[in-house]
Amino acid sequence: MSITLDQVTKRYQGSPVVNDVSLDVAEGEFFVLLGPSGSGKSTLLRAIAGLTGVDHGRITLHGHDVTHVSARQRGVGLVFQNYALFKHMTVGDNIEFALRVRRTKAADRRARRKELLRLVALEGMDDRLPTQLSGGQQQRVAVARALAHKPQVLLLDEPFGALDAKIREELRRTIRQVQRELNITTVLVTHDQEEAFAMADRIGVMNLGRLLEAGRPAELYATPATRFVATFLGAANLLLARQTAQGIRFGATPVNVRAVEKFDGAREHEVVAVLRPEEVELAPTRDNLRTNYIAHGAVEELVFTGAMERMRVRLNNGAAGAQIATASEAASGTALLEVTRTQHEQRGFPVTLGQSVAIGVRRIHVLPTPLSSYTSCGSDASAAEQLAQHAFLSELASRMKTRIATRVEPALATMTSDIATTPISGVAVVGASANAAAQIRWLLRNGAGEVLVLPADSTPPQRVLIHWADDESRRPTLAVAASLLRHVPAEAVYIGIMPEGVSDMQRPAGVRTLLDARSEAQAVHGLEMRTELRFGVAADELRRQLQDASDQMLILGVSSLDQLSGDFSSLLVPPPGCSLMVVYRPTDTPAGELRTAP
Amino acid sequence: MAGGPSGVVLAELASRPGRDTAVATLIKLTFIGISLLFLMALLFAPLITVFAAALDKGLAMYFASFKDEDTLAAIRLTLITAVIVVPVNVIFGITAAWSIAKFEFKGKSFLITLIDLPIAVSPVISGLIYVLLFGAQGWFGAWLQERDISIVFAMPGIVLATMFVTFPYVARELIPLMQQLGNDEEEAAITLGAGGLMTFFHVTLPKVRWGLLYGVILCNARAMGEFGAVSVVSGHIRGLTTTMPLQVEILYNEYNFVGAFAVASLLTLLAVVTLIVKSLVEWRADYKKR
Repeated sequence: MSITLDQVTKRYQGSPVVNDVSLDVAEGEFFVLLGPSGSGKSTLLRAIAGLTGVDHGRITLHGHDVTHVSARQRGVGLVFQNYALFKHMTVGDNIEFALRVRRTKAADRRARRKELLRLVALEGMDDRLPTQLSGGQQQRVAVARALAHKPQVLLLDEPFGALDAKIREELRRTIRQVQRELNITTVLVTHDQEEAFAMADRIGVMNLGRLLEAGRPAELYATPATRFVATFLGAANLLLARQTAQGIRFGATPVNVRAVEKFDGAREHEVVAVLRPEEVELAPTRDNLRTNYIAHGAVEELVFTGAMERMRVRLNNGAAGAQIATASEAASGTALLEVTRTQHEQRGFPVTLGQSVAIGVRRIHVLPTPLSSYTSCGSDASAAEQLAQHAFLSELASRMKTRIATRVEPALATMTSDIATTPISGVAVVGASANAAAQIRWLLRNGAGEVLVLPADSTPPQRVLIHWADDESRRPTLAVAASLLRHVPAEAVYIGIMPEGVSDMQRPAGVRTLLDARSEAQAVHGLEMRTELRFGVAADELRRQLQDASDQMLILGVSSLDQLSGDFSSLLVPPPGCSLMVVYRPTDTPAGELRTAP
Repeated sequence: MAGGPSGVVLAELASRPGRDTAVATLIKLTFIGISLLFLMALLFAPLITVFAAALDKGLAMYFASFKDEDTLAAIRLTLITAVIVVPVNVIFGITAAWSIAKFEFKGKSFLITLIDLPIAVSPVISGLIYVLLFGAQGWFGAWLQERDISIVFAMPGIVLATMFVTFPYVARELIPLMQQLGNDEEEAAITLGAGGLMTFFHVTLPKVRWGLLYGVILCNARAMGEFGAVSVVSGHIRGLTTTMPLQVEILYNEYNFVGAFAVASLLTLLAVVTLIVKSLVEWRADYKKR
């Protein structure tokens, strides 16, 4: 491995800017770090270059641990967005700078300079001053300068940011060519997904300091694992659907799309489906569709963009009941679908504004995230409404680009009726009232897979504690934790708890459990978390941990409701003063408990 | 594009403000007129007076003024003071500007305020501080007397007072410049393997040289012309602790107008030359930017 990052963390004034990033970049690979501004990608690049120290973790270049080696000694090549050329030196002197530092002989310097200028196609420009060159040429000089000392790693920090589109494309090609010719391991930072697609062997997408996913461009585009990656890499419609044993269902319309991943587990549940605008087919009627019908809709916006036609189609209310997964769309009740069509498709079926069309999909990708949407539950309308306005919940929902539905269940107050009319979809949210424990059990019995308990004054957490009752709930709890932590800039800590007074013989087993949990979180969910081992009664230990500091949150996984009323009852009554997420996946569902929508 | 106006012409047209109306022209002329009149009354007239008075009794008398031993000593003292003060302040100014522009630390704004202090405080008070510290009745007075070191009413005091009054000039010139230019080039140099000294002399110094030169010129002008602070610590010992501004005052008080204005004219000349050099530097820097 050329570059290896191991749990690299950089904090700025207490909050992590780069949060537990682990990454391997192979020899000769062109890796692109992609993310919006403020996602920590530039900080990570500077950490690799040695210009920024890290608070935690290790950086290895070609097998040498360089975490504590100065930038001067690391010998990487770094190219800045604003070129950072030495303006008082000629192009030749700029390029020779690194060699002069190393006291290379003049003849060798000149030979190397010539070679580099040829490489970046600037032959004969030796005696110009940087100010006499265009932006694109200056950046070429910067690349040549960064390569002069034959670095093993080339780092580029938004190198095309200050250039206009045409020059950008040309320079992209040059840099890619140089990279291939020298076979030098390269990391490029950018916020432009088109640029990432054009250059990368592999892309790593960052947000809020975390490396969310890394993979080949085509894979990431087709099968993203997270909402953020799905929407940041190109346009995407996020739709809430229900996944059943038969396949995907939008409201009442079942969709038999071949490309849908296999259904795992027996419970029918809500999922987030990614629908790329170019995978949508339009036809005058349902029978004319060659693909799977999902709904009818009306064309609301139509833009001609040359090669493509972009439009927004409003799904007919009630036609499918499909709901787009954003807060603003949820308010209007119906959803707008983004569609792009090629010239060829346009000629086959020309549409006009306001026209009613049948909508089909070629391909649907279901996100593996267990958190689809939020349902704020209350015993009366005002309670549910108030909870839906909760600051932390709104922030979570907007970051996850999902909606908050409200639901009034008088049963939450009285606990008389044991069965809800329709199963609860998504994450059920309740306030931290005195009988929260009973409410959690009621909601879990009625189809909710996760219940979020929010005290009125709870804030976004800095630290998320994770604990599961037994091995069966490890996997789902980790999945929920990983999904949540992608949208919350907090540190994850798994708390393993062993009974007080276990023998020394058993302790290694406890430590092994921790390590297994950590590696599973990293391997399966890409979640970096710390681990802590405690001794005592689980509920008491967790309560003590939560009282230790403010701004914490607990994710608790259980596999049976008895665990909630038994082992963890003292944790829930009274409810803790911080946010609590209960994850419940019954191990073997009795036939009577599997409820489907009528 | 053949036959159309050239790009330069188009750009010039685009940048032209709206057509001048008669009223706008009138307002423009009035404003320029007021500014010029103000400068005439307050600047040019006194300047001319200085030279007129100096040359009142003819060139011979004018040059004879500079043959006076005390006057020569004053000129020498002024130049020596400047030679010591300016380099020290350059070093201090670069250090202070570097630490303020490149590092984040607690009390940074306090340090900036401290650097501004000499400009805010009256020069007389600046001088008094040194008398209180090093004078016979001062904190260190007895200790210094035992060792036969004189600071106040001697050259060290004059140098110290001048240094205090002039130390903001270089730093204040460099701080905004260094902040604006950023760290990219230095960081580039470091990743290319350059050490601290090499980075400073090959990258940072060339980057800020014009600003630095400008600061040095201002610092020098003030160092040679300082009156208030120096007057307090000098003790006015003729031929020993008088600088040029003090000498002007002494001669004037003795009704030796030609001598007073001759020294004054020399001081003015130094100031004018300094200003001309400053303008040249600015012009040069502007030219460089293009």
